[in-house]
Amino acid sequence: MNTRSIKFRLVAWYAGLLSVIFVLLGASFYLDLRNFLQADLRQAQARRARLLCNLLLARVQQTGEAYVIGQIKDWFAPESNDRFIRLTRADGTLVYVSGAPKDGSFNPADVPVFSGPKAAESWRTQKLSGGNTLLIEGLYFKSAGNPAYWVEFGSLLDPVESMLQHLFLQLALGLPLAAVIITVGGYLLVQRALRPVQLITSAAEQITQLNLSDRLPVAKSGDELEQLSVALNRMIARLDDAFQNSKRFAADASHDLRTPLTVLRGELEAMVEDPQLDEALRGRLASLLEEAIHLSKIVDQLFVLTKLDSGEARKDWTRFDLAGLVQTTTEQMSLLAEDKRIVLSCQAFEPALVQGDSSRIKQVIVNLLDNAIKYTPPAGRVQVRVLRADGHALLEVEDNGIGIPPAALPHIFERFYRVDKARAAGDESAGLGLAIVKAICTAHGAEVEAFSAPGAGSRFRVKIPLANQEIQKSNPAMRS
Amino acid sequence: MRILLVEDEQKVADIIARGLKAERFAVDVCHDGPQGWEMASTYDYDLIILDLMLPGLSGAEILERVRRKNSQVPILILTARDRMDDKVSNFERGADDYLTKPFAFAELRVRVKALLRRGPVNRSSILRVGDLELDRLSQKVKRAGKKIDLTGKEYALLEYLATHPGRVFSRTMIIEHVWDQSFQGLTNIVDVYMRHLREKLDDPHAHKLLHTVRGVGYSLSDEAAA
Repeated sequence: MNTRSIKFRLVAWYAGLLSVIFVLLGASFYLDLRNFLQADLRQAQARRARLLCNLLLARVQQTGEAYVIGQIKDWFAPESNDRFIRLTRADGTLVYVSGAPKDGSFNPADVPVFSGPKAAESWRTQKLSGGNTLLIEGLYFKSAGNPAYWVEFGSLLDPVESMLQHLFLQLALGLPLAAVIITVGGYLLVQRALRPVQLITSAAEQITQLNLSDRLPVAKSGDELEQLSVALNRMIARLDDAFQNSKRFAADASHDLRTPLTVLRGELEAMVEDPQLDEALRGRLASLLEEAIHLSKIVDQLFVLTKLDSGEARKDWTRFDLAGLVQTTTEQMSLLAEDKRIVLSCQAFEPALVQGDSSRIKQVIVNLLDNAIKYTPPAGRVQVRVLRADGHALLEVEDNGIGIPPAALPHIFERFYRVDKARAAGDESAGLGLAIVKAICTAHGAEVEAFSAPGAGSRFRVKIPLANQEIQKSNPAMRS
Repeated sequence: MRILLVEDEQKVADIIARGLKAERFAVDVCHDGPQGWEMASTYDYDLIILDLMLPGLSGAEILERVRRKNSQVPILILTARDRMDDKVSNFERGADDYLTKPFAFAELRVRVKALLRRGPVNRSSILRVGDLELDRLSQKVKRAGKKIDLTGKEYALLEYLATHPGRVFSRTMIIEHVWDQSFQGLTNIVDVYMRHLREKLDDPHAHKLLHTVRGVGYSLSDEAAA
C-alpha cells in the first residue's frame, strides 16, 4: 500500500484522531464515574456515622453503652445491609462490632484496627483477607461530659468496582470496534470520492505528443474534481496549441531556411571556383562554404525530426522482416567497417516480422551502425544481432569502441547533444543522428536504449513490437 | 542548348542562371508561374528547371500542362520541401529529376548535364570503356583481357558509371542510384567503395579510368582527367 497516497493519509489521520478522542473521552468518563461513586458511598457512611454520634453518643452518659448498641442494631441492622459498624473507646477498647453479613461476604471481626492518627473525620479503603474491599469512614467523636469514641462505618466497595470493571470492559471492546468501523467506512468513502482522480490519472498517462487532441473524462459532479479535470483539459488544449505552433514553426523555419542557404551556398561555391581569387581568401571562403553545407545538413535533419514529431501518416506502413533488412543493410555497410579493419558480424537468422516504414527502420540501422563504426578504433569489432523476445524483435548493435561516459549516457538521444562538446574536425554530423533514431523508434512504438562502459564499448538496443501474426499476410515488402 | 529556369526567388535564380551561362548554356529566367507556363509552351527548350512554389501557378501544375502537351523536354524540379510523397507524385507527373534546396551548384550542373545528354540508354549487354569490359548478363568484368573480381556493390557502382562514360556523377546521385535514401547522410561510403574499386581496377595499370572530380564526384572515362 502506498503510504503517501491521499487516501492512506486521510484515513490514517482521521482514524488516528478519532481513536485518540475515543480514548480520552472513555478514560475521563471512567475516572469521573469512579470518583463520583466512591464519593457517594463515602458521604452515605459519613451521614450515618454523624447520626450515631449526634443522637446516641451525645447522650451516652445518661443512656449507657448497652442502650447505644441496641439502638445501633435497631437503626442500621448492619448484618442485613452488608454493613460494617465498629465503635471503639478512645483508649482502643472495643465497644461494639457488627456481625457478619447474611451472605458471609466478609467478617467484621477480621477488619484490622485503624492505627493511623484519629482525625475528626477521615476515610480509608481496607483490603480484606477474603478479597473484598471495604470503604470505611471514621469519625472521632467527643462531646462535653461524655467519653470520646472512634466510630467506624464501612460498606463494601465491590459492587462499585465490578460495575466499573464492566464499564471498562465495554469501553475497551467497543471503542476499538467503533474505530475499525469508522476506518473501514472512511476508507470506502475516500476511495469513492477519489475514484475520479484515478480515472483522470490513467487518462492523463495516455496523453502523449501524438494524441494531444484527446481530452480527459469530465465527471459532471460539480465538485473540485470536475473543476480539476476541466482545468487540466484547458491546460492540454493550451499545450496542444503550443505544440502545434512549435511544429508549424519548425516546419516553416526549415522551409524558409532553405532558400537563403541555397543562395549562400551558391554564391560561396561560385567565389571559391573563381580562378582569379587570392589563395588566402579562397581558403576562408571554402571554410565558410563548409559551414553553410553543415548548416544545410542540420536543416535537413531537423526537417526529418519535425516530420517524425508530427506523427507521420501510417499509410506507408508495411509488414517486413527485420532480420532480412538488417542483413542487407549490414552488408551494404560492410566496406565502411572493412576500411577501418573492423570486424562487422551480423547474427540475424530467425525472421522477425514487424510493422512500419521499412525505409525509416533502415535509417535506424544505418545510423546505429555508422555510429558504431565511427566510434570504434581500427581493428575493433561491431556485432549486429536480431533476436526475438516476448512479442518483440530486438535489434542490438554492439561495439568494443571508446564507449560513452556514464554522465553522457542519459543524454545521447537528445537533439544536438554531443559527448564531447567541441565538434571534432572533419565530423560533419549535426548531432542529430541518435535523436532521429529515437524519433523513428517512438513513431513505431519501439524503445531504444543504450548501455556502455567507457573504454570497453557500447551496446544499443531497439525493441520493436512484432507484427500480429493473425492479420492477413500483406505484401512482405522489403527494400534492399 | 537552351534552358528555361522558373524560380521566384530572385537571388537563387541569379546564381543558377549565372552558373549555367558560365557553362555556355542559353538561359531564360521567369519569376512566376503564368509567365513560366507561357515561355514553356511557346519556345522549344532543351531543359526546364522548375521551382515548385511559384506565385500564380504552381510548378506541379506547369509540369502537368507541359506533359499533357506531350512534350518530352527533360524537367528538373527544385523544391524547398523534401517530403517523400511529393517526390513520388512529381515523378508520376513526369519530372525527370529532383533536387532539394539547399543544393550545391556543382550538383545541379552535373544533373543538368546528365539530363541534357541523356540520349538513348545503352542497352547492349557488353559495356566497353577503353580496355575495360563489363558483361551485364554474367556481371563479369575484365580489363585488358584479365578478369577482375568485384563484390555486388562494387559491380553496381561500376556499371552505373559505365552507362555514360565521361559523364560526371555526384556522390548524391551515386547514393540514390546504388544505395538508397537511408544512406544520404554517409557520403563517405561512396569514397570508400570508390577507393576499393580503384584498387582493383586501376592500381595494376598505368592508364587510369576512374577519375575524381573535385568537389563533385566521379567519372569513368578512357580520356585523361579534365
